Amino acid sequence: MTAAEPADAAQRPPLVVVLCRVGLLYEALSPALAGIADVRRLPSDAGDTAGLLRWIRPDAIVVDSQEEADEAMTFAREAKAPLIQVRLRERKLLVLRNGGWEEPENGNASAEAIRNIVLGGLFGRDQ
Amino acid sequence: MRRTRILIADSLPIFRSGVRNLLARESDFEVVESSTFDELVREVATDCPDIALVDLELPPRGGVTAVSYLAERCSAHTIVWSFEPSRETVLRAIRAGASGYLHKEISPPGLVRSLRGVVRGEAPLARDLASLMIEALHGLEERDRARERASVLSAREREVLELVAQGARNKQVAAALEISEFTVKRHMQNILQKLGLPSRRAAAAFYRSAYEPEEVLAAAVETA
Repeated sequence: MTAAEPADAAQRPPLVVVLCRVGLLYEALSPALAGIADVRRLPSDAGDTAGLLRWIRPDAIVVDSQEEADEAMTFAREAKAPLIQVRLRERKLLVLRNGGWEEPENGNASAEAIRNIVLGGLFGRDQ
Repeated sequence: MRRTRILIADSLPIFRSGVRNLLARESDFEVVESSTFDELVREVATDCPDIALVDLELPPRGGVTAVSYLAERCSAHTIVWSFEPSRETVLRAIRAGASGYLHKEISPPGLVRSLRGVVRGEAPLARDLASLMIEALHGLEERDRARERASVLSAREREVLELVAQGARNKQVAAALEISEFTVKRHMQNILQKLGLPSRRAAAAFYRSAYEPEEVLAAAVETA
């Protein structure tokens, strides 16, 4: 199973799933991606996140906990979907790249920084 | 309709934009922002907000400093928020003048409800934090009682007990207070007798329960 099929991509905006404990993360992100992606919040800690993601098949995933990041990693690898971990307590972002977590340049924990990474993962030409 | 002016003081842009976007959907709020204490000072100098939502870690000196500043200069109701605060942190914020304390994990509708509650004169406090506060108050009462019991000790006996509570042996206590070991032993016997305690270890534990833990609680007792 892969994330977005090419035919789907032409018909609908990319789906970005935000798995978060901190609801304000979604409130911050949603307007930043408005008009570019369909952003949906899913409850964190609801169990079987990996299974849920396989059914929903988002194009990108944003999480705010290590546990959800671990759960989402399997799907993100399978589907080659961008996965961003927002560590609010540590005030930093991590991006899943080449099987490991990397801290992006200028990765301050802002909605715009997350938007840029999501869009880079979705539309970037070096992907 | 006059809108409630909310100052969100948080160094993390996610929280500022999250609150701004959330409250933009509500017609009864207007939002101003600051990411540091200095920005907060400038913002307050222009116009005092109705409610200030202050991050516990607001740079450079922390949110409690900002709470004290606002309490002195402005009529704003201040709410502190953070991740996983300790009961001492919550007490410190309340003592500094905060009207409430919230978790940063609060749901967006919950935050809106809390802010509206503040407008109605309510003090927002997350349920688990209310429990922490009650525990802290019980702790204060226990400490009060322990201090009352300790008042039967002489100043010298208290000095001896303080050193014993720090783990000092008789010889070390004697050296520190420039008295003989025999005198230290006599003081210890008197301390145990006056407090009705069975052992040196029990006396040390008693002293710690009365004085040592949590400076904040101790300060709260003094100001209560």
